[in-house]
Amino acid sequence: MKSVLIVMGLLGVTSLSAEELLIKNVRLVETSFQSGKVRDLRIVNGVITQIGADLVASAGAAVFDGEARAVTPGFIDSGTTIGLAEVSGLGVSHDGEQVDDDMTAGFQVYLALNENSSLIPIASNDGITRGLIVPEAGDSNYAGQSALVRFKQGSAFLQEKTMAQHLYLRESDRRRAGGSRSSALAAALEALEESARYDAQRRAFNTNKNRAFNLDESDLIALSAVRLGKVPLVVQVDRAADIIKVVTAFGAYPRLRLILAGATEAWKVAPLLNVENIPVLINVMENLPQNFDRLGARLDQATLLADAGVRFAFFSGSPYSETRSLSQAAGIAVAQGLSWQQAITAITAGPAEIWGLKGLGRIKVGAIADLVIWDGDPLEVTSAPVTVLIDGARVDLETRQDALAKRYVELLNLK
Amino acid sequence: MSIMTKFWLLIVGVALSSAVCADYPSTYDPPPHAAFVLTHAIVDVGEGQGEFKGWVSVADGKIAAVGRMDEPIPPGVLEINADGRWLTPGVIDVHSHLGDYPSPGYRAHSDGNEATSPVTAEVWAEHSVWPQDPQFPLALAGGVTTLQVLPGSANLFGGRSVVLKNSWSRTVQGMKFPGAPYGLKMACGENPKRVYGSRSRSPSTRMGNFAGYRKAWIDAQEYQKKWMRFEKALGEYETWRANNEGESDYKERPSPPKRNLQMETLVGVLKGEILVHNHCYRADEMAQIIDLSREFGYQVTAFHHAVEAYKIGDLLAANNICSAMWADWWQFKLESFDGIKENVAMVQAAGACAIVHSDSATGIQRLNQEAAKAMAAGQRLGLSVDASVALTWITRNAAQALGVADQTGTLAVGKMADMVLWSHPPMSVYARAETVFIDGVRRLDRAAGLGPVTDFELGQREEVF
Repeated sequence: MKSVLIVMGLLGVTSLSAEELLIKNVRLVETSFQSGKVRDLRIVNGVITQIGADLVASAGAAVFDGEARAVTPGFIDSGTTIGLAEVSGLGVSHDGEQVDDDMTAGFQVYLALNENSSLIPIASNDGITRGLIVPEAGDSNYAGQSALVRFKQGSAFLQEKTMAQHLYLRESDRRRAGGSRSSALAAALEALEESARYDAQRRAFNTNKNRAFNLDESDLIALSAVRLGKVPLVVQVDRAADIIKVVTAFGAYPRLRLILAGATEAWKVAPLLNVENIPVLINVMENLPQNFDRLGARLDQATLLADAGVRFAFFSGSPYSETRSLSQAAGIAVAQGLSWQQAITAITAGPAEIWGLKGLGRIKVGAIADLVIWDGDPLEVTSAPVTVLIDGARVDLETRQDALAKRYVELLNLK
Repeated sequence: MSIMTKFWLLIVGVALSSAVCADYPSTYDPPPHAAFVLTHAIVDVGEGQGEFKGWVSVADGKIAAVGRMDEPIPPGVLEINADGRWLTPGVIDVHSHLGDYPSPGYRAHSDGNEATSPVTAEVWAEHSVWPQDPQFPLALAGGVTTLQVLPGSANLFGGRSVVLKNSWSRTVQGMKFPGAPYGLKMACGENPKRVYGSRSRSPSTRMGNFAGYRKAWIDAQEYQKKWMRFEKALGEYETWRANNEGESDYKERPSPPKRNLQMETLVGVLKGEILVHNHCYRADEMAQIIDLSREFGYQVTAFHHAVEAYKIGDLLAANNICSAMWADWWQFKLESFDGIKENVAMVQAAGACAIVHSDSATGIQRLNQEAAKAMAAGQRLGLSVDASVALTWITRNAAQALGVADQTGTLAVGKMADMVLWSHPPMSVYARAETVFIDGVRRLDRAAGLGPVTDFELGQREEVF
């Protein structure tokens, strides 16, 4: 095997040989925008293979100079809807939920994704390279299964078909399941129980000997995966009292991996979440007491969770307003007391760990080269990416918005 | 007709003939404060001319003097050392629904859209505002000292807006900006035609929208004529009575026409007393609205949600119309599909009045960041917009669009001492409003743990300052 590789190298079989990119002089930011050493990064076949000073490019390698600008891992959005709707206000282009069915655990967003959505480059222009595309609750509190994507138009968009199951247990969600929080939680648990009965009788089911199940097979299979911890269960829940009940109820399934999302009042039960090691996904800018479940909404929620030792990551929720900017969210969290490093972590290594994304979220040898080089402090609202790499390849950052700006700057002679 | 009835008719007639009548007056009355001078601040007065190290002295709620640090500081008043922090005018949001869409946001609280008829110019936003909305203190924490609360955009004519001081009060009247003109909310495009089209009534199209505007303005012109005829007749009658000579067709006091609240608001616009704030996304629709305003002889003060203003900056400048814009909202509806981050800076570069607004109870908490994003996008495009110009988008220009620029919006001597002391440069994401003054009164002071707590929050949720 070794000899074969050497021979190929000698023959200069470039099509099979490594594709190398050498990025010179980028600042590996650590505790602040100004901190960190200026280093070179060698990227071979989309993976960081060497980090050091004064690296020498191999023959044929592409080289570019980062001019001592800050480099961060590509940001990871722990929940958005890009690819499911071009224009959210147009009902016809919205594919993020299943309706007319009171159980949609089997719903899979990946089958609806538009890999050429015009919203994809909006994310990469904000330095976001990967994200979960999350279903909304249609007529079922179990909304279905999210997918993982790369924010790059084309066939590379979809990365993982199934990342998590999403369950909604917020104030308004109880109406879908008996009208009470009690019935909503009971229904969610009963569905898991039925998946256990299904697992025990799968042979009987498949041979038509027992089909006495309330749920469809696709739902039972999806819920079985949740119960057995094959995919995590992400529960959208706000009120502290409900969070305790959710943690207790789903804690009865030893293999089930619980993640909380939204979780407005998670900071009130932070010690419990710390002990149970339950991660929390938050939208930093959501600090309005919009209902009685959210009376504890606070702009400094990330700081409170961090101080209590709870793992957390930020999500945007949707791509249509300023909440899509994870860097702005992280910057706001810093202004509210979170350290700069903790804030960056909440959109890089933090979500990579929560979602089990090996090779993402950190800049180190062996890591996937999802990298963003910034023209300033990555968390400042005035900064923007200069270069974005996904899997070591530069992403085209031009958008139709750029084309519109160019057209009208010329038409109105604004420069 | 009794004497008392005649007396009331006379009062009503006189009031109508002089000015927009029957507003419930402002009772806003800031408490007295000790005169003070803020020193060692990095001051931007809000005129887009940059910043300097200086001081600002305040007495009786007004800016008394402004100077550089090498100029003598007025003696004999309390000195507050700003310690190199940044001082700007208070932030002004020209487009808010605080109080009429409060938190918590239940149906019982949803008071922003009288979506029962396409023309509801007769409703007034101030009659919907709940002053205990906890969103007001959150906006204050973002440095907002003045805001315009508008009706929603379901209707062609949504109703009157109200300009508020962001100062906690038991009553809406206690927040009303004294002397601020009223606004009329109008709406273009998708919302009215969707709301009424879905009920199989007009308007269901954009052409239906325009027919609706024109019909209402024609009615308003008729109403205005009716009142002018009455006033003329009343004048003749009064002259005849006073002199007991000459000709008059009226041997009895002429009766005023019946008041019509809807028409009163529209006539207020035709008289130039009420400012038009027109929700309008698309450039082509804005151009049509400009022609509509010419047809009926009124001025559009500002287009709100002007996502495509960048396409017609020249037209907006020529017609003296402000554009109130978001930094980066787009694609949530089809008429916002062509939104670009450079919009605000391009409107500025075209010489038109640019404003950054929120329309959002979260966005209002960080208008400085939104202005900063719009500024940076313009700079990347090669336009010359700096932080000081960007500050005018949320201060001076906003005050201009609300008709209160003579009272607030910059740190000019004699204006209301509405000011924010920031922890970082105001165009930074790290900037927090540390101290907020309204009419010279500290309404928020984080270091002192001072800030408003609404009744709703008391005992169950308290703001953290």
